[in-house]
Amino acid sequence: MKKAQTEKAEVLQGTLILLVLRTVETLGPQHGYGIARRIEQISNDVLQLNQGTLYPALLRMEQEGWISSKWGASEKNRKARFYSITAAGRRRLAKETEDWKRMSSTIERFLISDQASLAEEAG
Amino acid sequence: MSWASVAAARLLGLFKRKRLERELDAEVRFHLEMQVDDNVRAGMKPEEARYAALRSFGGIDPVKEAYREGRAFSVVETTAQDVRYALRTLRGSPGFTITALAVLGLAIGINTAMFSVLNAVLLRPLPYRSPEQLVMLWSQDPGKDMRGTTGYWNVEQWRRQNNSFVDLAFFDGVSATLTTADRAEKISAIRSSASLFEVLGVQPLHGRIFTAEEAEQRQRLALISHRFWQSHFGGSFDAIGTNVHVDGAPSQIIGILPADFRFSDVDVWEPHTMYPEWEASLRNLRGVGFWAVLGRLRPNVTVEQAQAEMNAIAGRLDEQMPPGQRNRAIAVVPLSLHVVGARPRLALRMLAGAVFLVLLIAATNVASLSLARSASREREMAIRAALGASRTRIIRQLLAESLALSVTAGFLGLLVAYACIRVILAAKPGNLPGLNEVSLDSYVLGCALALCLLTGILVGLTPALTAVRRDLKPSSQEGGKGVAGGAATLHTRRVLVLGEFSLAIILLAGAGLLVRSLLSVQNVDLGFRPERVLSVSLAPRASTTPAQRNSFYRSVIEQVESVPGVESAGVTSELFLSGSGTRIVTVEGDTQRTSERRPLRSDELSEGLFKTVRTPLLKGRFFEPADGSPDSPLAAIVNETMARNLWPGGDPVGKRFKFGPQNSKLPWFTVVGVVGDMRRQGLEKEPISQMFEPLAQNPPGRAILLVRTSMADPLSIAGAVQEAVRRVEKYAPVYATTTLESQLDASLAERRFQTTLLVGFSVAAFVIAAIGIYGLIQYSVVTRTREIGIRIALGAQSGQIVRMIMGEGLKLSLAGMALGLLGAVWIGRAGSSLLFGVTATDPLTFVTVSLLLTAVAAAACYFPARRAMKLEPTAALRQQ
Repeated sequence: MKKAQTEKAEVLQGTLILLVLRTVETLGPQHGYGIARRIEQISNDVLQLNQGTLYPALLRMEQEGWISSKWGASEKNRKARFYSITAAGRRRLAKETEDWKRMSSTIERFLISDQASLAEEAG
Repeated sequence: MSWASVAAARLLGLFKRKRLERELDAEVRFHLEMQVDDNVRAGMKPEEARYAALRSFGGIDPVKEAYREGRAFSVVETTAQDVRYALRTLRGSPGFTITALAVLGLAIGINTAMFSVLNAVLLRPLPYRSPEQLVMLWSQDPGKDMRGTTGYWNVEQWRRQNNSFVDLAFFDGVSATLTTADRAEKISAIRSSASLFEVLGVQPLHGRIFTAEEAEQRQRLALISHRFWQSHFGGSFDAIGTNVHVDGAPSQIIGILPADFRFSDVDVWEPHTMYPEWEASLRNLRGVGFWAVLGRLRPNVTVEQAQAEMNAIAGRLDEQMPPGQRNRAIAVVPLSLHVVGARPRLALRMLAGAVFLVLLIAATNVASLSLARSASREREMAIRAALGASRTRIIRQLLAESLALSVTAGFLGLLVAYACIRVILAAKPGNLPGLNEVSLDSYVLGCALALCLLTGILVGLTPALTAVRRDLKPSSQEGGKGVAGGAATLHTRRVLVLGEFSLAIILLAGAGLLVRSLLSVQNVDLGFRPERVLSVSLAPRASTTPAQRNSFYRSVIEQVESVPGVESAGVTSELFLSGSGTRIVTVEGDTQRTSERRPLRSDELSEGLFKTVRTPLLKGRFFEPADGSPDSPLAAIVNETMARNLWPGGDPVGKRFKFGPQNSKLPWFTVVGVVGDMRRQGLEKEPISQMFEPLAQNPPGRAILLVRTSMADPLSIAGAVQEAVRRVEKYAPVYATTTLESQLDASLAERRFQTTLLVGFSVAAFVIAAIGIYGLIQYSVVTRTREIGIRIALGAQSGQIVRMIMGEGLKLSLAGMALGLLGAVWIGRAGSSLLFGVTATDPLTFVTVSLLLTAVAAAACYFPARRAMKLEPTAALRQQ
């Protein structure tokens, strides 16, 4: 347990939006706890979400118009707020995904070339 | 797009604060419960599950804070918080709050009222098109500082030769008789060139304006004012095309001027050519004449440039002028300066300055009070600082408090201002144009708001800065000695009180000088006795011959003198003068003083007039019935000033003089008597040369009937006097019935108003300053309780204690006074033209106000000192 925790990574600022949008897109309307759990599960508990930070982010995204929220009943029939993605949210998700892919592939290329050059130097 | 939707959401967030807060709570609670359930299911004990849930959530309050900041505009939110807190604090100390509100509300109120007067009289543009381009042009005698109307010929030349003006218009204001089917009344009329309305940029409300061609054809046309239209035609459009009978002849109304067109209080405008004889007599007059000239500057031409060009024109014209009319300059005066002269302007500015000083004193005083409060709140501040409030947040907090105070005071101030304006409108002090339009318009309200903010900052800044200087350390060092932060704020408060005193004495000295001026004006020797004298304006019917007019006046005097309660009656062409004419006078046998133009006023009067107003005869005799008969030589009585000017050191009785230069063909006047000078141009003006002719010599078209009665209130027989006049002439216009005393009183209204205001302001300032020093000394005694206790315990006499405490206060007030007196001298010099019969450095005034202020300061210090004296040393030492 202790060991596992040290390998967990903080969720990067900015990627949280991507994760939330992706979650509500695939799962449909979700409450905050559900979103938090989903993010942690999908990442095999590697991504350690400081759950509290989720709510200011949800507020911000709702203000931007990417998600909308509605009060409803949870699985255990308790009152909860459900967030779902909007059309603007889908567009945003597409853009964020695009950006992320470009970014990660760039970084990947950078890492590979770096390794290659290091290997060259060593050789 | 995105920022807009965020802003909109946040704007909504401002209003839905409570609901959003509740929802966040519910959401967080739900989240935690779910987590706890999951944890329990994973095998944790309930207690453990709960801690784990909280841990993974990561601190509820920071999350909520972050959420709140995202919810709405945080600046607005924290400001609202500051204000709410400020209001709560202020409610917590009602004594301070009420005092501060009263003082500031009053100060802001009278400042707003004063500004609304300033706005209406000086700042609001005149109701003409581009009024800043309008100027008056006067003929001026450079050596004598006299501005006057000018002649026909000159106006034509000015008009033709200049390049500075779009156009010049000229006009002459006259008083005329309007006759209707059953009565006659006096109206005020203007005879003007057709270009007047074009130059002013005024369009008629209905109908049209006469053209230059119509004027040239001498058509009898009239334009009427909106007021005249309402009063005489009930606002009916039938007025256009009907005739009005002005001075006995009909003229057709062709237009009605708009309501906001203010041009003195004129009822009827006529073409200047309508009276052929009158006009022909003026047509060839070179030099001095009857025309007031109004010009509109071309765009981009300044008054200075126009003045320079007119100087050159005046130089060129000079050679073509008759000998006595040479060396005249042309004065170009902005119309606004003509409408409200230099002196009322200065007076208004001085009063506005004075009332602003009152505001400064009030703000200083409240600053000093809140400084005392902030010292006792030092611990509160220290705790707030320890809890993480930043320095800016604390300053903001203090400023929010003072701003909440000043804005509330501002609302009270608006009520005060509204009341003041009602009083001003009701009192109608003086006759400043525009005073009737005083109101709280948006400009004034804006100024009131600015005053509020300024006051708030003034009041809050000192305590805030002091708080910062003290570095917000927990006040452990001073905390134990009774009142915290005593010494530091005491010093600042001393400076503030010193400032209050110096400002207060400036006001007080100014008020003292004005009071002395008012007293001097009231005690000035008029040269006549106004008590119990009734004044009635009257005119014989229009188009009468001189002989008919003469007999009309004689019959009127006879009839009026038969009224019970009348002691004597007399008639004069004019009593009080609004301006002075100038004449060239030639004295027989004196070749040196000819061709010299001098201010001279000439009037006709009945034999009994001097006796009626009790003007003393100095030499020779009064008129007799025989004077003025066609076969006798022209007789004249001159006043003392004229006698002194024309016959210095000699006796004028029996001497002769005539108008015009040596070779003039005008007849000689023989001086039959010399009377004392009468102040007819107003109480504050030195009398000019005046001469009088017997009524029969030149009976005027209208006159003032003066009646000395035996009644305490002469108006009580006004009806009987009017009836007596009507017995002579049924439809004779009889108007402007009043008493000489009330006329003189009215002429004093403006000065009295100014004086009353300044006295009021300075008393307010004085009281505030006294409260200020009282509060300071009181505070100082409280701070020094232990010290005083020790002194008493060590054997200090009560006298010594009193001296010590009072010395502190008096030293301050004397220092403030010394500073203030310097300021008073400086300001007195600047405003010296408002003074009468007293110099700006009048020692009596300065000594009196200094003593007064010292006495009040001493009284204010005495009570705290007595309290100190009576301190029980043991109790004082025990005090924490």
